[in-house]
Amino acid sequence: MFDIPFGSLNKRYCDGVSRRQLLRVGSTGLFGGLTLPYLLQADDGPQSARKAKATSCIFIFLEGGPPQQDMWDPKPDAPVEIRGAFQTIPTKTPGVFFSEHCKRCAEITDKFTVVRSHSHSDNGHSTGYYYVMTGHKPTFPDGEHPIPTNTVFPSLGSFVSKELGSNGKVPAYINMPHPMSAGGSGFLGAEFSPFVIEADPSEPDFEVKDLGRIEGLSENRLELRQRLLSGLEKGHRRTGRAAAMSSYYNKACNLINSPEAREAFRIRQEPVKIRENYGMTQIGQCALLGRRMVEAGCRFVGIDAPGWDVHFNCFPSLANDLIPPADRAFAALITDLEERGLLDTTLVVMMGEMGRTPRVNAQAGRDHWSMAQSILFAGGGVKPGQIIGATDAQAAAPISNPVSVADVLRTIHTLLGIDSTREYPDPLGRPVPLVNGGTVIPGLIASVGALE
Amino acid sequence: MSMPVRNFWLCCLFGCFWPGLVFAQLSVSPAAIVLDRPESSQQLLVTDQVGSQRFDLTRKATYLVAEPAIITIDTGGRVIPLSEGMTELTVTDGDHQRSVPVTVTGLKQPVPVSFRYEVQPVLTKARCNAGGCHGKAEGQNGFKLSLFGFDNESDFDAVVKETRGRRINFANPDSSLLLLKATARMPHGGGSKIDREGPRYELVRRWIRAGAPFSSTADQPVIGIEIEPSELTMQHGSTQQLRVTAVEAAGRRHCVTAVAEYISNATHIVTTTTDGLIRASEIPGEATILIRYLDQVATCRVTLPRPNPSSLRPAERNFIDRHVGDKLVRLGIPPSEPVNDSAFLRRVFLDMIGTLPTAAEARAFLQDTHPDKRLRLISDLLDRPEYADYWAMKWADLLRADRIKITPQGTVGMTRWLRARIVENQPYDEFAREILISQGSIQQEGPAAFFKALDTPEAAARSISQLFLGVRIECAQCHHHPSERWSQSDYAGLVGFFTGVSIKRLPNGTEAILAKGGTDYKHSRTGELVKARGLGAQPADFQGVTDRRRTFAAWMTDSSNPFFTQAIINRIWAHYFGRGLVEPIDDIRATNPATNEPLMHALVAHMKEVRYDLKAFTKTLLMSETYQLSSATNTGNMDDVQHYSHALPKAMPAEVLLDALCQITNVPEKFNGWPDGVRAIQVWDNRMPSYFFRIFGRPVRASVCECERSNEPSISQALHLLNSPEIHEKIAHRHGRARQWADSSMSNDEIIGELYLGTLSRFPTVEERALLVTELNNAGNERRTVVEDIFWSVLNTKEFLFNNE
Repeated sequence: MFDIPFGSLNKRYCDGVSRRQLLRVGSTGLFGGLTLPYLLQADDGPQSARKAKATSCIFIFLEGGPPQQDMWDPKPDAPVEIRGAFQTIPTKTPGVFFSEHCKRCAEITDKFTVVRSHSHSDNGHSTGYYYVMTGHKPTFPDGEHPIPTNTVFPSLGSFVSKELGSNGKVPAYINMPHPMSAGGSGFLGAEFSPFVIEADPSEPDFEVKDLGRIEGLSENRLELRQRLLSGLEKGHRRTGRAAAMSSYYNKACNLINSPEAREAFRIRQEPVKIRENYGMTQIGQCALLGRRMVEAGCRFVGIDAPGWDVHFNCFPSLANDLIPPADRAFAALITDLEERGLLDTTLVVMMGEMGRTPRVNAQAGRDHWSMAQSILFAGGGVKPGQIIGATDAQAAAPISNPVSVADVLRTIHTLLGIDSTREYPDPLGRPVPLVNGGTVIPGLIASVGALE
Repeated sequence: MSMPVRNFWLCCLFGCFWPGLVFAQLSVSPAAIVLDRPESSQQLLVTDQVGSQRFDLTRKATYLVAEPAIITIDTGGRVIPLSEGMTELTVTDGDHQRSVPVTVTGLKQPVPVSFRYEVQPVLTKARCNAGGCHGKAEGQNGFKLSLFGFDNESDFDAVVKETRGRRINFANPDSSLLLLKATARMPHGGGSKIDREGPRYELVRRWIRAGAPFSSTADQPVIGIEIEPSELTMQHGSTQQLRVTAVEAAGRRHCVTAVAEYISNATHIVTTTTDGLIRASEIPGEATILIRYLDQVATCRVTLPRPNPSSLRPAERNFIDRHVGDKLVRLGIPPSEPVNDSAFLRRVFLDMIGTLPTAAEARAFLQDTHPDKRLRLISDLLDRPEYADYWAMKWADLLRADRIKITPQGTVGMTRWLRARIVENQPYDEFAREILISQGSIQQEGPAAFFKALDTPEAAARSISQLFLGVRIECAQCHHHPSERWSQSDYAGLVGFFTGVSIKRLPNGTEAILAKGGTDYKHSRTGELVKARGLGAQPADFQGVTDRRRTFAAWMTDSSNPFFTQAIINRIWAHYFGRGLVEPIDDIRATNPATNEPLMHALVAHMKEVRYDLKAFTKTLLMSETYQLSSATNTGNMDDVQHYSHALPKAMPAEVLLDALCQITNVPEKFNGWPDGVRAIQVWDNRMPSYFFRIFGRPVRASVCECERSNEPSISQALHLLNSPEIHEKIAHRHGRARQWADSSMSNDEIIGELYLGTLSRFPTVEERALLVTELNNAGNERRTVVEDIFWSVLNTKEFLFNNE
């Protein structure tokens, strides 16, 4: 249904005015209160001299807390109650070992870098998620934040979309396959909320909400609707929020009607071989769709991959359902981006809100452990092929190069060429820096000086 | 201001009446100058007063010093001592001259410098202790100061003692790390902050040379600052020098213009320099300059009238129009035309009851010829059930009726209690008091669950202060409020009222609020207990009191409380007028004044006169000509957003918009688990999953701030309205209004007329009617779908999606 072409409609904006007409009336300052410079700005997004390589970020969030010692930071010499059920395998980098279920990533360790020493003190899911995404300690108890809206502080993705603006026909900030629970825009307002693709791209009937052709609406009717709406809006000068809404109407129409945008969402156009390479799983197809979004100009793709809260009998589900799909998706994404020449401009990060306890519990699971976790970084100016930081013999705490939440956020902003010391007023009027404190993770960026 | 411009003004004001008889009043202040420290300076103000218009000549006048060895004067009109003695300063402007005697003492044997009262302002002025630098919680590169210098003791330790005293070099003050960094002679992330040749450098150096003492025998706390001028009207592009004088406890007064800080609240109207010079832009309006020195704050109010002022004012229906009119005339902003009946109807329905008028209601009102019909409509709406639904929803947001936090039963209980209070029109002071002293089960029909949501004494104090007093005391939890007089002691004093509140688990598994006893609360820095007290009040007397909150409630609702009444007035005003007299609406303080203070005072008097009867008060607001102005602007008021010269467009809240869509399509929303026909503004469940609510910004009730409700448009909203199956199903529903009309015998003209009445509360214009009726006339056997498409088009106009657009 989604693949039905919209035909001639793509020549028009939703208010029924062609782009040329829009510019013409825009220059008289009468169209929706938008002046020409504003329109161009709305179209092109903020411009700034860029030194950073990365123009977009794909952020894969393993929600629930992926186990560091069962994936990227194995401890083969530890007793079995620590080391767990998995074997260790060598990687392409001599002396570096992963767990046996991270096969695909192990083959390409020269293309990304693992930070093994991320550590913070928030052991809750919703609170840890919020902390990682905003850099602010939550003021609500764990479990009380199931609605994806940050009441105060904006998420990483909202800041990135605010700072960089859209780069094409698709929105600047996208979440999939559902909202990231701490991915809201806080005091930046709805404009910088994620556009959520609330559907699983691995499903055969995958479709983006409110983008597909509504059943029963013929092309003639669509054209009639556009004509009527533009006729009714003609001559009205809009100001303030209504003018902003007018500009969103145009953007929304663009999304519905532009061939580029339409094409970007059509994951079924992708060759089967490539789709299978990413894995026909939710995380795999999200990673692939994320790549397509980046190609179409999205700045920040937030992929929420749930299910990692493995308190009970964790090893079978890790071995069968969780680690291999994530391993495959990440490896395929890096390789695919590189083959397309996009890895240099696309930062890829894979992390969760916490790690898991060193000791396997009585139910053969692992519990919450925020004191140590591993993060994967690739592309976008990251110096690949490294292991940064290390944990102790039980993968319980960093013993070198400890990395904080603020460090991670500052690093991501810096890689994207965003000045993370820039301040915004919070609802109390206090100036709040984009990232409070922190330093760029030492050694992770090829040349920090050139970016800061 | 240049001479020709000033002469022009002279002519305008007097020339035509008394040619040749124009006397400008040149004044120079102060009349005499005493400089008694090496770092002292005195700002002169040279002013030409022409009628009510003043011209700042401080930077234009010429200055002549009789004994140039004793003082010098800089280009900004600041007198600086050079050596001890007496001399005279002559100020000349054209034909006018004034003389000022100057005495310089205290240079040979200067009074010692103290850290707390003299070095601290230097660090603040240089922004060393700002939030982005060493003032942030973790400091900067190992050097941490308190934010805005509120903690003298710890800052003194940081500068003088920490890191083994390496920041200070007593033997060679110039090599002190503090001064090397501040002047950027050593690499400093913040760059050069203090001029090596200037008096501030000299002061710090002298302080170090004298052994860097914390205090000195001579130092006195500053008990106030005076600003000159503190209120003025400026012309576009003109400038005005300010002067700041500090008053010490022992009576000494000294000029601190060079060391004070200046912050404009509207930099598009007025900008400031660090020397205290303010510059007016080309945009008319009002601005307030906040001036800060040590822990003192004061303001200067600036009015910038339009260059071609109008003297038009709204018709005067009640006192509101008089005050708004005075302000508009003062600024020269013309008001818009009165609103027509259609737009008025739609506005009051959406504002008062969060509900769109039906086509029948619109037709009846438009056809009503009674002269009092607007007043009667307002009275009717106040008694509608939707009024109670809508305002209960609004208050449930503010009182944090969150299902997860206070249980579903608690949310229902709270919502029901609120609704009943609104129906009975309980006086607001009683309403607030009842909330404040509530006890018992959090699941009862009552407000006790509010204290479950605010589950610590600290949360209770700061939320109640913000909600009921409009004072954001939260800042003072960690540091002195940077733009108010509130200190950490005031914060601790407030918390002390709520320390007796506890949450008790009941045998049936539910919870109850108990309030009994309580202790004073510790100052978070000094650890000393602070006696419980209201803001700016004496310590409370708890003799014979079991629930400390009762004492607080009595103080809060006392008629002498300056905050309580303003806070509710501002909240209601902002709701109806689209912008508070004070913005943000819960940030009332001397340094953030109302845009129309006489109006605020008159509203306070009126609220007391009607004894906190909110319905009566609402009627007064809505019957003002000001509320009943059109939103269509004219060339003179299109830029005005703060003086109510026209109605402001407002986004509809998520629930109101959804209800409006359901009403016009006649297809109610199915809320999971709720009976059919329930409207969104009646849904108490704030966590009910809803894509619509989420993207249109329903609050999660995590704070008492109205700002939690987002009114910002987004691309997801546009997509949803344009192209979602959900909205389409409403429009095309087989029992929906579009189908019903299409299948009926209604004429095409009638369909369009009814649709316009039901959506926009007006009849279509000739062009609109022509466009839509023609389409229907040509529809043939496509009548159903063409009616649907017409519905879709009208529902997607911005006029439909906004109130007052």
